[in-house]
Parts: sequence; structure tokens; C-alpha cells
Amino acid sequence: MTPQNILLIPKIERGIVIDHIPAGLGIPVMALIGRWPELEDAVITLGLNYKSTRMGRKDMIKLQAEPLPPRLLQMLALVCAGVTIKRIDRFEVVEKVVVQVPELFDNLARCINPNCITNAEPHVATRFKRLESGSKHFKCAHCERVCSLDELAGHLKA
Amino acid sequence: MKKDLISIDDLGLEQILDYLDLAARVEALPNAEKAGLLPGKILATLFFEPSTRTRLSFESAMCRLGGRVIGFSESANSSTAKGESFSDTIRTVEQYADVIAVRHPKEGTARLAAEIAGIPILNAGDGANQHPTQTLLDLYTLRKFFGKVDGLKIALVGDLKYSRTIHSLCRALLAFDGVAMTLVSPESLRLPGYLTKAAAGTTATFRESESLADALRDSDVVYMTRIQKERFPDLVEYEKVKDCYRLEAKMLEGAPARLKVLHPLPRLNEISPDVDATQHAGYFEQARNGVIMRQALILDLLDKRNDI
Repeated sequence: MTPQNILLIPKIERGIVIDHIPAGLGIPVMALIGRWPELEDAVITLGLNYKSTRMGRKDMIKLQAEPLPPRLLQMLALVCAGVTIKRIDRFEVVEKVVVQVPELFDNLARCINPNCITNAEPHVATRFKRLESGSKHFKCAHCERVCSLDELAGHLKA
Repeated sequence: MKKDLISIDDLGLEQILDYLDLAARVEALPNAEKAGLLPGKILATLFFEPSTRTRLSFESAMCRLGGRVIGFSESANSSTAKGESFSDTIRTVEQYADVIAVRHPKEGTARLAAEIAGIPILNAGDGANQHPTQTLLDLYTLRKFFGKVDGLKIALVGDLKYSRTIHSLCRALLAFDGVAMTLVSPESLRLPGYLTKAAAGTTATFRESESLADALRDSDVVYMTRIQKERFPDLVEYEKVKDCYRLEAKMLEGAPARLKVLHPLPRLNEISPDVDATQHAGYFEQARNGVIMRQALILDLLDKRNDI
């Protein structure tokens, strides 16, 4: 982080930093975090539109809480794969993971096909399998409709 | 582990060929012997949307194997009309039957049924998605007429945009060697691009044409389809194309003797009745093959293939 950014968003003693969020997705990611009652009491700092040498502009979120719920991590892979999750202890980064696009999204999103049976019977767990390694397209395990990562991100389950 | 047949995409070439061989073995059996293969077994045909042909074909297949059939032919006759979920219907019916054939207007229903039920599921059509038994019977018909599928020249005619039968058949034909497909359709009903793109890296070829006469001169097979009124969001568009391709006996006069005309049926105006009497008409035999292929599939799913 540039010294200028450090001034804009203070270091935390312990918790999680979600870094390298593409600019503009910081607020949707905050909305996601808001779905977890266990994070309700966490002190959260949201930073938008920081300068980034790699990304041009980026958003960043710091949570004074840990760990992140596993399902939230999976949803981050759907909404903004490529973000960096840093675990902070005593003001130092002790672990750093880049969130990758997985081969399978298990019950995280609704199918984009309105005529898919999973939309008629919402208790059914959806599955979307990656078409091939490296692809940004996924296939519904039920209706076989192929959709993009962005389309799935727009259909997150409650 | 129980078997299901849900999507043609689940089958590799080897498995497709195995089903064609099994169907040939079933066909060779005397009727009396067939009738003793599945005593006491029950097929449930759950048709949440009407389909006389596919349902009767499944039921005939089971009856001729000595089994019995229960079921319904439209959702108005099922407890879905009372608000029961599809999942509950499957969980209930699996208590009553040994194998289920399911057709439903929503895509993904057969896969869901297979996940829920402890007994085999046959997909008899799920919305606009898959109709794998139709594809297998089409391939069986091709192999019966020509002794092979590899290298055939096949003209696909009519509604190539919405036809589930055509989409499934195309995908299956890509697995064979050197099948040349001529796509004959009006501009508005062209085959979806993702299917033509799927030919990349295979030995199959696609060629587009708007002329049925052109396709008749140089094909082994002309596969006609109905223009499906129910698929058109705008009926004005349907009216424009509904009778765009009509095959008549006189058009077949210069056609090669080997040419066969297929159609998944029901037909409307796209094949004139005078074609029925020509040597080229293959669609009623195709319908007969549907029973044979479905018998083979039922026997396989019920783990009875070694009994023949």
C-alpha cells in the first residue's frame, strides 16, 4: 500500500483485509458482508477508489473480526474473484490468499434461466460447473444453461 | 449404483454405440421372449405436459417387455394441480414403480428427479433442454438404414433454432466421424451459433443453405422438422415461415435411391402425405425404432441387459 493510502485507511491490529476489490464493487461487497449476523458487531472500514499501481483504482475493506465465514468467501469468488484476503495480527499481515474462481459453485446463486426447475422449487440446491479450466462460463447442473460469471454474480441466493 | 438417462451430453461415443448395439439385440429377440423379460416391473410415465407419441412409445416398450405401466399424461391429472412440488411427486412415485420416465415443461426436471429418486430416471423431455431417447432412436434409425453413422451427409431442415431434437442430434453427431450436416432453414430459424462452434476440433462439418431442393440432390438423409408454433413469441413471425419448406413426392424424383426422409413427428404440412408411399419415407420406421430403443434403455437401467 502506498504511504498516501495508509493515511487514508488506518492499519488494524487484528482482523481481515479484503484488498484489490475492483473499483465500484466495494459497496456490493459491503452489502454481502451485511448478510452475516456474526459480523454485525465488527468494526468495518470501507475505502473506495484508492490509487493502485496494478489496478488503476481499487476498493478495500478492513474488518476487525475473523475468520470470514466460508460461505462469504465463496460468494466473494463469485462476485469479485481475484481479491486478496489478508489476515492481520498485531498490525502485520500473517496470511495472504488470492481468491480464485472455483470449478463449482454450490448453492450460491440462482439459475439465470427462468424456466429452470431450480427457480420453481427454490429449496433445490443449485450447482454450476465451470465449462473448462480457465473459462469464465458455467453450466447449470440441472437445466444445462451456460452463463457467465457476471450473470451468476447478479443472481446470488439470499 | 443406479443408472439414469438424462442428457445426451452425459454419454460418450462408446456408450452411444453400446446402446445402439443393445437395441439391435432387443430387436432381434422374438416377441414371445421379450414379453417375459420384465414381469412384475412397473414403469411410471409422468408426463407433466402432453406428448402422445413419446408416452405411448414408452408404454408400448414396457408392455411388450412384460412389465406394467402407471402414470399420467398431463399435470392437470396429477397432484401438481393441487400444488404438490415436483420433488414430492418424484419421492412419492418412486415408492410405486421400478423406473420413471418423466417429461416436464421446465428444464432440469429430469436431472432433479435423478438426484431425488433411488430408482432409474429416463428423461422423456425437459422443456427446451434435452430429449435423449429421441436422439438415440434417431441414431439407431440412421445405423439401421445405412449400416453406419460415420460419414453420412445429413440435411437438417426447418426449425433449427428452437428444435430440441435437432440440437441434441447435432451434439451427438459431432461425436461420430466425418458427418456432413447441411442446415436448411429460413434466416430467422438458423441453428444457434454455439452448436456450429462446437464442431471446431471435430471431423463434422456444417454448411448452410436455404434451398431444400439443393439438399435433396446430395444427401443421404433429410431430417425434416415441424415449425413449432408454440415457441414463437410473435405469431406474425410464425405465419411468415410456417410453410417455408414442404417436401412432396415429385421433389424426390431425381433424388438418390439411398435418400431417407426422417421426421420426429408429429408432422403438419412439411411432408406431404404422398411422400409416405415412396421408398424414401423413413419416419414411420423411425417411430417403430423408438419402441425398440426405449426397450433397450429400460432393460439397461433395470440392470436386465444380460438377460437377452
